[in-house]
Amino acid sequence: MTPTVQAFIGDVAARLGMVFAPDLKSPYLAGSAGLTAAVLMMAAEEADRAAHRLVEENRAIRGIFKDAVAHATSEVFADELRTLAAGEDNDLRISVLQAANNDLRRALIELHAAVERDPGPAARRLDAEIWSELAESTRRRAFNSVRF
Amino acid sequence: MADLTEARIAGYIEGRLAGATDVTVSDLRRIVGGASRETYRLKLAYTAPEGQRVERPLILRRDPPDSLIDTKRDIEFAAYAAFYGSAVPVPEMLWLEEDPAHLDFPFFIAEELVGFESSPTGLLSPPYSDKAEAIGLRKWTILGEISKADPVALGLDKVMELPTPQTCWTRELGYWEREVDKDEVEPQPIIRAAIRWLRANPPPPAQKISVVHGDYRSGNFLYDSDGEIHGILDWEMAHLGDPLEDLGWGLNRIWCWGGDDRRGGLLPRERAIEIWENASGLRADPAALHWWELFNCVKGQGIWVSSAKAWIDGQNRDPILAFSAWRMLNAQDRAALELMGKL
Repeated sequence: MTPTVQAFIGDVAARLGMVFAPDLKSPYLAGSAGLTAAVLMMAAEEADRAAHRLVEENRAIRGIFKDAVAHATSEVFADELRTLAAGEDNDLRISVLQAANNDLRRALIELHAAVERDPGPAARRLDAEIWSELAESTRRRAFNSVRF
Repeated sequence: MADLTEARIAGYIEGRLAGATDVTVSDLRRIVGGASRETYRLKLAYTAPEGQRVERPLILRRDPPDSLIDTKRDIEFAAYAAFYGSAVPVPEMLWLEEDPAHLDFPFFIAEELVGFESSPTGLLSPPYSDKAEAIGLRKWTILGEISKADPVALGLDKVMELPTPQTCWTRELGYWEREVDKDEVEPQPIIRAAIRWLRANPPPPAQKISVVHGDYRSGNFLYDSDGEIHGILDWEMAHLGDPLEDLGWGLNRIWCWGGDDRRGGLLPRERAIEIWENASGLRADPAALHWWELFNCVKGQGIWVSSAKAWIDGQNRDPILAFSAWRMLNAQDRAALELMGKL
């Protein structure tokens, strides 16, 4: 489908921010339009990358879970980790990928808390792996327009 | 619910100005200001009992149907009023109205400080960027004055809970963790890890109980091209607590709008701390300050997840909420990772 969603939203954002907003008499509306334009620019970027970043992240967390079952604090949680690790993203709609991501990140919190309490070398390696993935998750979510 | 009109506001003020006649309000306009209340600019004119015509630019801050943060306008009003006429420049507070019968929601009216800039990104370009050192010196000196002040002598213990030096951190961390619990719309593994670390490594007791502005950052003060600061604004999250809380919030990496390490777009971190220490007479113990800086990432995330929830619930569709949810939430996670040495 062309023009792409990203191109169209980006163009709307540029018009709103640079053409319409400066002509609005109300300072509040002008500020609001300018901010809406900035948010639309982010939406354009996200429209193109969202599926990719979610698939990549879900795959990375499943990879962590594959080696983490021994650190589960209960058999129920161990089963959950096995199930989540075996999951696949066959439906690439953003809403479905996001739901899977939420399940995975919720379990990652519980796993991380358990690993922190374990001083053993395997737990330390897993802890470092989790932190590395968390740092990577913020790079995936960063927008081009954001400096930090 | 009727529209907010100049006539309704004039009617309210007329009842508060003893002996004044011919009270009019004109040039009513909503402006961007603060995240928790609707802010309006207006011009008041009236004939005083002595016969002279008085004109005064004012600001009206009214509670919205929903907001980023739940705050009490009487506390914000009291904080402004406490510092009026002191070394901490603030506008004069005029009327606080809790009864929604007048203008549909509670509100307060204050003097408008006219002719100054407040934009945090405005600090990054001339003529203001040429005065970054001077503005930064004033910014962190004024925060030192706030930290140095005695909240009991100011009477603020009558409207704000007075914690002990030992309980500041548990109260604040507990509050903001509950905000994350209540409002998160997706899991937050980074900030959850930060909360676990903060609980496992508590800070030392506060060296004193101070007034904490609660949102002391570039964007919440009025400045000019001479490098002077004329008003500290947005006291909506003011409370009593550890003075390092305010210092840590102002140093938060998410306010580095210039993309470099200058905090608030003004000064390097260590220079800001030095100025604050000199002005306050207090010490920013590195370990304690580190705790409060990381805590402020939790606090920030509490605000950003609440923004996302307010937008998703449809109670408030201001674009600032979506901006906060997308941009600030990730920046806050990165700030927390950096402080934990994991970025």
